[in-house]
Amino acid sequence: MTDLPPPTPEEESEFLAAEYALGLSEGENLTEARDRARRDSLFAGAVAAWQERLVAMTDAIAPVAPPARVRKALIKSLFPNIRVPFLQRLWVWQGLTFASLAMLAVLAMPMLRPDAPTIAGPIYGTQLTGTIDDLQVYAVLDPSRGGIAVTRTAGAPPSGRVLELWALLPDAAPVSLGLVPDDATHLKLPPEIAAQIDNLTLAISDEPPGGAPEGAPTGEIRAVGTVEEI
Amino acid sequence: MDREEIERLIARVALKDRAAFEELYDRVSAKLFGVCLRVLNKRAAAEDAMQDTFVKIWNNADRYQANGLSPMTWLITIARNTSIDRLRARKKGHQDIDTPGMELVASGPSPEQSAIAASEASKLTGCLDALDADRGAAIRGAYLDGETYADLAERFKVPLNTMRTWLRRGLISLRECMSQ
Repeated sequence: MTDLPPPTPEEESEFLAAEYALGLSEGENLTEARDRARRDSLFAGAVAAWQERLVAMTDAIAPVAPPARVRKALIKSLFPNIRVPFLQRLWVWQGLTFASLAMLAVLAMPMLRPDAPTIAGPIYGTQLTGTIDDLQVYAVLDPSRGGIAVTRTAGAPPSGRVLELWALLPDAAPVSLGLVPDDATHLKLPPEIAAQIDNLTLAISDEPPGGAPEGAPTGEIRAVGTVEEI
Repeated sequence: MDREEIERLIARVALKDRAAFEELYDRVSAKLFGVCLRVLNKRAAAEDAMQDTFVKIWNNADRYQANGLSPMTWLITIARNTSIDRLRARKKGHQDIDTPGMELVASGPSPEQSAIAASEASKLTGCLDALDADRGAAIRGAYLDGETYADLAERFKVPLNTMRTWLRRGLISLRECMSQ
């Protein structure tokens, strides 16, 4: 066993990937594997290939229907009922404090309702974030007036691209709401979208200058947010 | 299970489509629950692991496409890793296993590489059986029972470094056998 040549760097890398996929990496090996999986696309590919090979060990495992309570608990934890008391649902905003969104709603009000000092109907809002970069956009929606105030607080489109805002509704193709060229943009909220605001999710994609040519997103989805009543 | 159908559902989940998420759950939860049960061997723990698995799927579906894995591999590997983390959680100093597609950088050559691996996968069982019995058992123990090198060294009554050398050789033989 000791007379074998030491592994080449390629072999060592392959061992590291296989051990990482198996969950055998420990200590420094784990730190190195985790780091390389995040940065080194060849290594990430080797890990993925091992995951693909090893998963066949689960082929012989028979499916078992989980009890209905698991589904219920899952749905309840991910999608808390909007009707629950106000303070209990604030966690939905995650990184966003309620105060900051309410403040944005107030700031957005002159944009949405220049002539009306009082609020007519409910106001909705969301924070759009993604995982590609640090893009962060707040949208405040006023269905009663058909307006959307979009405020970009961090991030920018990739060079040579523009940001486009999309309305996503269940079982429907994304509908473009317009481009978001500036830090603060005012867009129209079409009545047919406003009518389904309780199910509305907004997303931002990057598109060629002038926006998606065919009316459907073509670039990467850079940020997403679920619309909620403020 | 239709690969394109599952991919389409994951893509919609990435856009935070709740209906698609519920449909995905209904399609794959029985398989994933079977995997969680196999690893954890206790219903209550398996139920918790599966709920965690689906929370991860909801939160990370947008990273699925980048990693080049087949959709069922991605889903099952999340369930398997989540279950093994739970199994090992009581052990001191345990470091969580990373979950694919949450940690892997978009891998350039990986889609082809993974596709090759997927086509090889049908040979896995035969190739595991073709290994020295102990090596095959060690790889199965690591994958399905979350056994660490220390656990395996104890089970096979060999020093830790010997165990590592053994298992590494087993993995290389396995890859060679599967690619033939």
